[in-house]
Amino acid sequence: MSGELRGWPAIRTVARREIRERGRDKATAISTLVTLVILAAIVLLPSALGSGKDPKATVVGADPAALAVARTAHAGQQAFSVRLTVDRVATDAAAARRVRDGDADVAILRDGRAVVAAHDAEDGAIAAVQAASRAQRTAAALAARGLSRAEVAQALAPPALPVARAGKEDASGLAFVVLLVLYGQILAYGIVVATGVVEEKQSRIVELVLSAIRPRDLLAGKVLGVGVVGLVQLLLIGVAGLGLSAATGHLDVGGPGVPAALLIALCWFLLGYALYACAYATGGALVSRQEELQSTTTPITMAVIGSFFVSLPALDDPSSTLAEILSFIPPCAPLVMPIRQIAGDAPAWQIGLSVVVMLAAIALLVAIAGRVYANAVLRTGARVRLGTALRGRGRAAA
Amino acid sequence: MLELDRISRRFGDVVALDELSLTVAPDRLTGFVGPNGAGKTTAMRIALGVLEADGGEVRWEGRPVTPADRARFGYMPEERGLYPRMRVADQVEHFTRLHGLDGAAARAATVDALDLVGLAGEATTRTDTLSLGNQQRVQLAVALAHSPVLLVLDEPFSGLDPIGVDVMAEALRARADRGVPTVFSSHQLDLVERLCDDVAIVAHGRVVAAGPVTELRRRGGRRQRVAVDGARDDAWLAAVPGAELVGRDDGAVIVALADGVDDQVLLDAARAAGPVRQFTPDEPRLADLFREVVT
Repeated sequence: MSGELRGWPAIRTVARREIRERGRDKATAISTLVTLVILAAIVLLPSALGSGKDPKATVVGADPAALAVARTAHAGQQAFSVRLTVDRVATDAAAARRVRDGDADVAILRDGRAVVAAHDAEDGAIAAVQAASRAQRTAAALAARGLSRAEVAQALAPPALPVARAGKEDASGLAFVVLLVLYGQILAYGIVVATGVVEEKQSRIVELVLSAIRPRDLLAGKVLGVGVVGLVQLLLIGVAGLGLSAATGHLDVGGPGVPAALLIALCWFLLGYALYACAYATGGALVSRQEELQSTTTPITMAVIGSFFVSLPALDDPSSTLAEILSFIPPCAPLVMPIRQIAGDAPAWQIGLSVVVMLAAIALLVAIAGRVYANAVLRTGARVRLGTALRGRGRAAA
Repeated sequence: MLELDRISRRFGDVVALDELSLTVAPDRLTGFVGPNGAGKTTAMRIALGVLEADGGEVRWEGRPVTPADRARFGYMPEERGLYPRMRVADQVEHFTRLHGLDGAAARAATVDALDLVGLAGEATTRTDTLSLGNQQRVQLAVALAHSPVLLVLDEPFSGLDPIGVDVMAEALRARADRGVPTVFSSHQLDLVERLCDDVAIVAHGRVVAAGPVTELRRRGGRRQRVAVDGARDDAWLAAVPGAELVGRDDGAVIVALADGVDDQVLLDAARAAGPVRQFTPDEPRLADLFREVVT
């Protein structure tokens, strides 16, 4: 039997439709795919281009002693942050020529007793060769003093000192990716809400829907449903990003790490989206046709874009006073606070305060949006003025 | 029973409804007619709670209507509204759920409604790929699927082909016969006359005539259709007191007879004028009454 749907059952029913229809929509799949491709490009391109890895260098030698030094250097290359290639040539002259011609970086000559390096040779490569040579000569000297091979090996193999890193690791790269994704996601799904509201208004479905349920339930259901789609998409992107990072060894990027950054991004998406979606829904309710939508949503879009730009300095200096202040101002907070959190620069009380301010702003906007929406959504024709919609009256009090 | 009791509504300086009163009785199919701008759509929107009245009261079963009552009404707005990209069955099911049916009940009601409007084969078709007539059938299915206790339809017949008109008429008739008070607006007066039990004629925001169709038609008085061979003019009519020429049709004249005038006197006068080929009672059409009361 039919009956009135109020509150959560109505909201859930509206949200269910949004999730089903948008989940089925090709556009949602395409936008997920495009975001993933962009994300993959950001994560994978640096390693594909060779940056972010140790520089390469070529070491050449002719006689066995020189080659032994070269191979020892190769074995210990990691400590010097180079990747060495060892090439054997016929003579010392050939080795020196290779370096002169720029085909090799370091040549080991005269049974390992002389070294020629190119002007632009990596310091690491030279240092690696030096260290290898020194180790070999030390071993030879120790052996000459009567130490056995085992004793020499033991003397030369003290464990490397453990190195503790001091200060904060630079997490700005991760924070930038999170900022980009959050910004894109909040903007895109805010606009989805606005166009969805206008679509219902333009096609006059809203009259039929509102003959069954209350305007505020329709608004809440739409915001919730679209938000769930946005959140799931963000989660997919995040998990894919996590997989990519793990696969390419970029997982350890400093700060709280990629999984924590994903969690931070999801939470701030929820808060930021809730705030902007209500504003966008209001913008949508004030106009009658998609073509007019820009006139009411441009200020909101400007607020998102503006927040993005004022967030950028926070990437470089997450602890600046400006970043601190911005992370408490609702329109900017969803973009600035995650940056500070990922940088590890936000004390718990500041995060808590920012969330509380955000929730208060959302509550206020929900009330305003609900009122404007209820008053404007059934009016077609000329654009409804915001003030009129705030005061006005369009529907029976339900 | 739905009652609109002295409903008023203004839009700025325009008076859309001026104490309009209307009753839609159970077991009755009620036609709601009137010229464009008379206030039909406004009245229906107020009945459904989509629009607020400035004054007056909407009552359902004798009590002021509540949102819970309205959730059980079925509505077809004048400006059709369907989600263009939704599949037909999903669409109907969604609105059925909005009216409070849960999963299994909503699905079963959807199947029944699509069957009823003859769209069972289009359940998985995207709504915007259907013809306009079929989209209107979907609209009807949406209005009917949750088994409403009252049906309010704004211009349900506009844009339908003759077969669509039959499907719609049958569906409305069937609901009314099952005791569901049903009201629809239309400009097709012949259709209203043929289909409806009751009719309300609205003009300038007021109901100017209302009642059973048969009664309203009789209100036009007794009329006689007379065809006289060779009668060059209607001068013979002047000899009959209480007879008035109200129209001509295909060589015949339509004559209104005042109360107490014997139609045999009219016949005698006609026969005196020439051979009478036609002499039949002519019931006034709703359209005649309509013209009379709205102008």
